[in-house]
Order: sequence, then structure tokens, then C-alpha cells
Amino acid sequence: MHRLLSTTALAFGLLAAGSTLPAFAIDNYSPVTDARLANPEPQNWLMTRGRYQGWSYSDLDQINTGNVKGLVPVWSISTGVDSGHEAPPIVNNGIMFVATPYSQVMALNAATGELLWRYKRKLPEGFSALHNTSRGIALYGDKVYLPALDATLVALDAKTGKVAWESKVEDWKTGYYMTAAPLIVKGKVMVGVAGGEFGIRGFVAAFDADSGKPAWKTFTVPEPGQPGSETWQKADTWKHGGGSTWQSGNYDPDSNTVYWGVGNGSPWFGDQRPGDNLYTASTLALDPETGKMKNYFQYHQNDSWDWDEMNAPTIIDYQKDGQTVKGLVKPARNGYLYWLQRGQDGTISFDHAQPYVKQNVFKSVDPKTGRPDVDPDHKPGTGKEATFCPSLWGGKDWPYESYNPKTGMMYIPSNDNHCGHLNGRVQEYVAGQWWTGVDIPEIGFTVDKNASSYGEIQAFDVATGKKNWSALYPKSMMWGSVLSTAGNLVFAGGTNDREFRAYDARTGDQLWQFKTNSGIIAPPSTFSVDGVQYVAVESGWGIDAAGQQALISNLLGWPKDVPQGGVVWVFAVQK
Amino acid sequence: MEATETEGATPAQPSLGCCCQRRGLLEAALGLAVGLSALPAAAEDAAQGPAVMPPQVGDQFVFLTGDKKGQVVRVEDLAVGGPQMQAWPFDPKTKTARDQNRLNLVMLLRFDPSDLSGDTKANSDQGVLAYSGVCTHEGCPVNMWMKDLQFLFCSCHGSQYDPKAGAEVQAGPAPRPLPALPVKVEDGVPVVAGQFSGRVGSKIS
Repeated sequence: MHRLLSTTALAFGLLAAGSTLPAFAIDNYSPVTDARLANPEPQNWLMTRGRYQGWSYSDLDQINTGNVKGLVPVWSISTGVDSGHEAPPIVNNGIMFVATPYSQVMALNAATGELLWRYKRKLPEGFSALHNTSRGIALYGDKVYLPALDATLVALDAKTGKVAWESKVEDWKTGYYMTAAPLIVKGKVMVGVAGGEFGIRGFVAAFDADSGKPAWKTFTVPEPGQPGSETWQKADTWKHGGGSTWQSGNYDPDSNTVYWGVGNGSPWFGDQRPGDNLYTASTLALDPETGKMKNYFQYHQNDSWDWDEMNAPTIIDYQKDGQTVKGLVKPARNGYLYWLQRGQDGTISFDHAQPYVKQNVFKSVDPKTGRPDVDPDHKPGTGKEATFCPSLWGGKDWPYESYNPKTGMMYIPSNDNHCGHLNGRVQEYVAGQWWTGVDIPEIGFTVDKNASSYGEIQAFDVATGKKNWSALYPKSMMWGSVLSTAGNLVFAGGTNDREFRAYDARTGDQLWQFKTNSGIIAPPSTFSVDGVQYVAVESGWGIDAAGQQALISNLLGWPKDVPQGGVVWVFAVQK
Repeated sequence: MEATETEGATPAQPSLGCCCQRRGLLEAALGLAVGLSALPAAAEDAAQGPAVMPPQVGDQFVFLTGDKKGQVVRVEDLAVGGPQMQAWPFDPKTKTARDQNRLNLVMLLRFDPSDLSGDTKANSDQGVLAYSGVCTHEGCPVNMWMKDLQFLFCSCHGSQYDPKAGAEVQAGPAPRPLPALPVKVEDGVPVVAGQFSGRVGSKIS
């Protein structure tokens, strides 16, 4: 499986951009090809959501409703770092690659937990980021691609962890940073950027997988003269208009279209940037080879609630009126669940939408266009305080929903019964500093103290929109991505009690739970090695889940702190 | 391609950012002799020019923001009781703001001297105080203000510091106080009177 690296190679690893330890290399690594990404083998978990369509679903069924009670940890490893762990374990034929906060990557023997190599990026002098997390790496060829926090794309040799190349994506000193896993299509490594609270102008950029050379860059906020620029009615507001792209996209190989989500407008208060503000709070349809925008859908205009729509919709063919519809389904941060239709030419058209949590901002949604009719009483502005539900964390924040084709259900990690209130002011723009129009101590957050639950997994029948079951958390919000499997199981953490749980995908019955070291906000993955199925997840609470927990502790008396510090857990059924 | 790429490969390269702490860690990891990195920190900073050097005794301050952005800070510019004003150290000899190193970001505040704790008072003059503006947690700018408590508030993870009492941590994840930068007032202008009281910045950078 591995051999000792030469002394020279070890020295190079240490002296390049970051350090790589320890001294093992991987023999017989299976290169990742376009064909494998398009049809990933069931035993592997080759990308963040498991497959291009973003299902967070596995065909493996060795672990199933009948034996999940026997699930036990088979190995674990400390990541050695704190902050929120938000990356899924990625597995390629027995080798696991997992990213941790602070732009680090571990390569492990997926069956035994043996550490093969570890890359630790040295962040630049004076660097800081709002969220020091990583949402994962991507694999292609014989390389591992890490979007580093300092807005640099790093390609590592998958066998050794050595830096193959680095490519600067943007200037971190102006507020850009990177957390989202890349999406790789036909040799193009696509990355998004974070920094929507720092007055960036968002974009999706692609780099050549072999050389690291920039291929294309498509801004999410148009400059004057470009299509959509008419929706930025006040001069120069586009320059720092936000539109971050801090979650990976999904890809439809059939139409060769990438769907990528776009975040909030910047600053947060729409009256400071009048107009619809394309393409904030939207899904973009992009050509992966050129970056050309084929089409878009904007969920809400002139965003004033910090409702990023950075998660790409899940690519699903669903049934409607006896017909199969090529669809896109998205539980939006704004609290509505959207059914959109995807055209072969990349067009996105609205089908229908319904709220999945309490939402008091949209009076209605136009049945033809999907454009919401916004209640001005619940739209905050500059010097205008307003309350809105859900709060800025949305009905669902970034954690991933799962679609299970066997049950026909989508499993949505959601949060209900919480509201926000904001009152904006004009803040002076300083490159690289917080610039939302409100200081953090003034961000209002309330919960319905009489509610019987807050966090929830909601299981919707995608064809009918009917909620089949829900798992309710009376004493926790839900911050965990969901994994579902052909074993009719749903796996998720996400709660402040450090539990990792398994449910019956058909009924919602809880079948198994295990208390980990910390709270789980990372996506679980599943894979098999030598015929044995495993389930893996990082446990490491932090970032927004921790910040929200601190606020709720004051409101509901929940514990203020959830222990931090990351551990990768791997489970299998006890023989 | 930040300093990280070539750091260590050419250890004495003077054009890189100031990486003294990280170089030390690298050397420790490699078990290398100190002599490999021959250039001492102060000389390395000097070689990079006045805009990168840390605050020097005698430096004035210039505003980072506001109507007087870029102008030298005077005592009367600072409101008694806060909030803080973000500023860069300013070398009056070369007329250079030391703004090319984020770790040089400082905050100036002014209080009634009788409100200051003993150690804090010793670092102040006419109630004027200076602290590092870089959070000791994860290096973010401490640029927000809690008016009721008169606490400094970090814009990333909510650490709170009491500027009247040595910027000790009052809440949040920060592990230690903000380093103080001693000041004295000369002709109505606050100037640097000493070195930072502790290591500037966080564990990550």
C-alpha cells in the first residue's frame, strides 16, 4: 500500500507551500477520470456530494435497516485542529482524503486509518478569515485539489501530498477567501469564493487541472454594459456587490451544464444597492468549458436578509402529471422549496415552490416566474429595522440535503421557529474588513420560545411535495448534511448533543446513534474496501453552528458551548 | 503565490513578507540549526522598508478610515470613552504609513485616565491608549465596539476585550489579551513610546 518516501521528496514537501508529513507514499493509486466522475463506482466517494448530480446518496446497501444497530467505530483519528469541520471524507479505491480547517489535508488508509501523508498550508503573514473551514477537496487524475483559505488553488500529488502547483485565485487582502470544494469537469477545476461579508465581487473561476493555468472567470455581479448590469441601478454598487460562490456546483453531463449557487448581496441592505442585483441569490447555469453563462434563476431580488443561495440545486428527474420532468430541486435558504425545470440548452424555468419552514417575507410567489412578492414590513433597510423569518441562517443554511432515488424522497436538514431583525447603516468600505452595514453585536436573533422543536430533518416526496416524515430536535438546531443510501438509511449529525444518527429512510424511525467527540457539521460519506462497507464523518463543531448556539443559549438556556476539536470517525457493522 | 511558496527554499530572501515566527516553526520541524536563517527579524523588516516594519518608537499614527483617513491622529480626534479608531503607525521621518503588514494594524482609544487600570494607565498618556488591532484568536480585525460595555469586539468570532483593563478577554474564544502599544503625547499627537507588550496576531498566521 505504501512505501517510504526518499529524503529528497520529504524535504521538498516541507519546503514548498506548506508542509507535508509524514513520509509515506501511495502505490497503485487509481487515477480519477472524467468517465469515473460521470459514473462513480459504488465503493467510492469521489466528490463532495458523491456524484455530479448532488444527491449525497450511495448505492451501497451492505449496511441497511436490518443491521445498522450493529454499527461500531472501527477507527478514528484526531485532526489536531479546532474550528468547524465541514469536509466529507473522499475515498478512491481504499485511500481516503479529508480536508480540515486551516487548509490541511490528510490522506489515510480508508480501512485501517493509517495516516499516509498530511499537507498543512502555511497561511500568509497577517492572514485572517471569517470561517477557517474547508468544505472539501476534489480529485482528478493523480492530483488532489485544495482551495486554500488564502484564495489560492493548490494541487497536491495524490500519492505523496507534495505540491504539484499553486495558482493564485484572488487577493486575500481584499476579503476573498476559499472554502468550497472544487468541481472538476473535463479537466477544468472550478472554484468559488467566499467573502460576502467583506465587500467582494463574486465569481466562479476555472483552472487547467494539469498546469494550474487560469482558464476562465465568470463574475456573479456584472460590470456596466454586461447583461444584468441594469439591475444595479446605483453607480459603482456592483464593485463590492457580493455574490459569493462558497459552495461547490453540481453538473449535468447530459446537457454539459454546471449549476452554481450565488450568495448574498453586499452590503446586506438592499436599499444601498437598488435594483434586483443579478446574479445575487441565484443559481447560474454555466458552460464548464468556457464559463459562459447559459441562464440563471434568481430566488429573491435585492437580497436584504443575508439569504445566500450558494447551494446548487439537486439535479433530479421527477414525475409531474404522468410525465418525467428534468428538474432541479432546491431547499433555499429563504425558506422555500423550489422545483425548477432544466432545459437541454441550460435554461432554468420555474415550476413551483412551497415554504418548508415558517416564512413571513414572501406574501406570495408568482406561479409563472417564481418571483416573490416581498412584504416591505419584513424587509430591513438602512435606518429601517425589520423582523424576518427565518433568520439570516435560513430554513437551511449550507448543509446538504440528500436525494434517495429508491424512496423518491429528499431529506432536508432544516431549522424552523427562528427569526432575525436587522437595522442597517452605511459603513465605510475598508478592503478586507467586515462590510455588511451592521456590526455583529447588533445582529438580532430570536426564537419562538414556545416551539416544540427547532432543528429538523424533513423528508419530502419529490414528486408530490408531501412531507412524509420528519425527525424533530426539541433542544438543538440542525447543522448537519444528510447522507442517504440504498440500504434505506439516512445518516446525519448536526445537533449540539454530538450525536451521529441513522434513520430509516422510509419512515424516519431512528435506528442507531453514537455520541462523538464534538458536534458534527460535516457531510457523512460511505464507501467499501475489500467488500466491507464503511460510513465516515468528521466531527468538529464550530463556525456558524457555534455562533448560533451561543445566541440560543441566552434565549433558551441550551448549553453555551459544544466541545471543539476535530476527529474523523469511520464506522462498520460489527462482525 | 504568497510568501508561503518560496519561504524556506531561500530563507534569507528579503523581499518576502515577515515570516519570522513561521520560519522558526519550520526550523523546529526540520530540526535545523538557527544559523540557516541568518537574517534577524529586525534586519529583515528593515530590509523590506518602512511600510512593513513594525511600529517604532517615535511613530505617529494615521487614520485607516473616516473623514481624516491618512491624516495624523491628534488627541482631540479621539472621543473620550470610545469607540476605537483604527490606524496605522506612521514614520514621520520618511512620511510612510506602515500599512503593508496587516499585523501593524492598531487601535487608538481615549478615556478619562481615572477609568484606567494601573498597568493600562502606565501605557497611556492623557488617557490615550493603543492596542494591536489584530485579534489574538484567528487574526481578524477587532473593529467593532460595544457601546454599553465599552468593550472592543472582534468582527469574526466575537471575542470581547476591555480596553480600560489591559484589553483582557471578557468573552469569546480569544486566548489572550490584545498586545498594548505604549504611547505618549507630543504636541497633541500620540506617538509610539515602546514595543508591543506581547506577540501580535494569532496562532494561524
